[in-house]
Amino acid sequence: MQSSKKAKMELSNKTMNVDFVKKVEILSGSSVRRCFQCGKCSAGCPMTSFMEHPPNRVVRLLQLGQGQRVLAGRSIWYCVSCETCTTRCPNKVDLAAIMDALRKLSWDADGPSKESYVQLANRLFIENIRTYGRQYELRLGAAFNMKSGQFLKDLMLGPKLISKGKLKVFHSKNKNIAEIEKIFRRIEEMRKKGEAL
Amino acid sequence: MTAHKKHLNYSFYPGCSLHASGREYDISTRAAFKALNVGLKDVPDWFCCGATPAHNVDELLSLSLCAKNLSMAEQVEGDLAVACAACFSRLKTTQHHLKQDDNKRKLVEMAIDGPAPMGKPVKHILEILARDLGLAHLEDSVKKPLMGLKVACYYGCLLTRPPHVPDLDDCEDPSIMEDILRALGAEPVKWSHRMECCGANFTLSRPGVVLKLSGAILESAQLAGAECIMVACPLCHSNLDVRQEDIEDKSSSAYGTPIFYITQLVALALGVSAGKLGFESVIVDPRPLLNKKQLI
Repeated sequence: MQSSKKAKMELSNKTMNVDFVKKVEILSGSSVRRCFQCGKCSAGCPMTSFMEHPPNRVVRLLQLGQGQRVLAGRSIWYCVSCETCTTRCPNKVDLAAIMDALRKLSWDADGPSKESYVQLANRLFIENIRTYGRQYELRLGAAFNMKSGQFLKDLMLGPKLISKGKLKVFHSKNKNIAEIEKIFRRIEEMRKKGEAL
Repeated sequence: MTAHKKHLNYSFYPGCSLHASGREYDISTRAAFKALNVGLKDVPDWFCCGATPAHNVDELLSLSLCAKNLSMAEQVEGDLAVACAACFSRLKTTQHHLKQDDNKRKLVEMAIDGPAPMGKPVKHILEILARDLGLAHLEDSVKKPLMGLKVACYYGCLLTRPPHVPDLDDCEDPSIMEDILRALGAEPVKWSHRMECCGANFTLSRPGVVLKLSGAILESAQLAGAECIMVACPLCHSNLDVRQEDIEDKSSSAYGTPIFYITQLVALALGVSAGKLGFESVIVDPRPLLNKKQLI
């Protein structure tokens, strides 16, 4: 982090990716350019201490065409979608939507971010919808531990929650599972044909 | 006094958590509504709204899952009642986007292969209690006032933010929870962290985040003299209740703060027996506190 802070940023046609910013603006429905760096978003953000680029710097980097620097870091994956930034922005920049757009672009490109646990949790959660229709929490937790290699994570929690009736051991598939699968397929199809981003 | 004479009926979208880790919220919501003689009928075969993970990486998927659920909700009479703050936020966000953006609406209708009806009002149970039913009626229905119970009302993120979507209350200084609590006879405390994030779904991927953020919430509630915290979201509940022991271990603090769902307190004040409100399912047992206050 320190070295990247010290490194000089050269701005030129070669180093600035303006198309990327346009894509972010289309996907998010929010202007990136309107930000005047008041810093209110970062002041209210509960996650800045986990980020290498606080929210206002994410926007500044985008304005300077440095989308790749943003995607390479973990900031976008440590945004918790609390919407405080969007709520407080005095110039109507929808930063929470910009974060969604950045994650989608990174996700689609199977991006270079170092943060893998959050992405893994997202992937498993969405897979769970496709397989079961409703969340199967026990499977979600178990699959996360297996795939992240943290076999002992929350090991004592599972039995405690099961004994309290908070974690169902068995889970049946939703009756609409075929319809849910169709929604996933249609979206994939629309993207293949270029009808949707 | 007049509002309750007409019989209120709602369709209900419980959401995944209410059928699993947040089962006390489900049980107590149904109990409270029954005690108030308000109808609640489940949307048949509803499925996951996509929650945060879906909109985080795939907005079209998120909107489509919600739109399909909203179209299924049309089969059941009455405004759509939602208890989970995240489901509420996603369903309202979907309605907002599809009303505003014809292009998004077209794509979503292609994805769900049908129209996306957006007319049904989506309501969090807080607004049903405080507005549709009314605080006066709620107060009149109380059989066992929660006298002397000092409660920190915790809103979290998605009940009020972003300001143009949930349309539930002020986005920085809401009062709907405190209003309901006062109608029940309890005493809301003034405190600093009622709008701060609990760490949400990082409980799976990066629990350290939850320990830090939810730890600050527990600390603030204790400093303000609250004996318990009241929530209206199953994920907030899980982070503050299930993770409380981890938080205490890590910070060497002792909280032992019971976390109530709003509907547990409403139902209790309405005279529903404590045995029917899922108090045995939560991790930080609230029964000693309720005993001390002679509420059970």
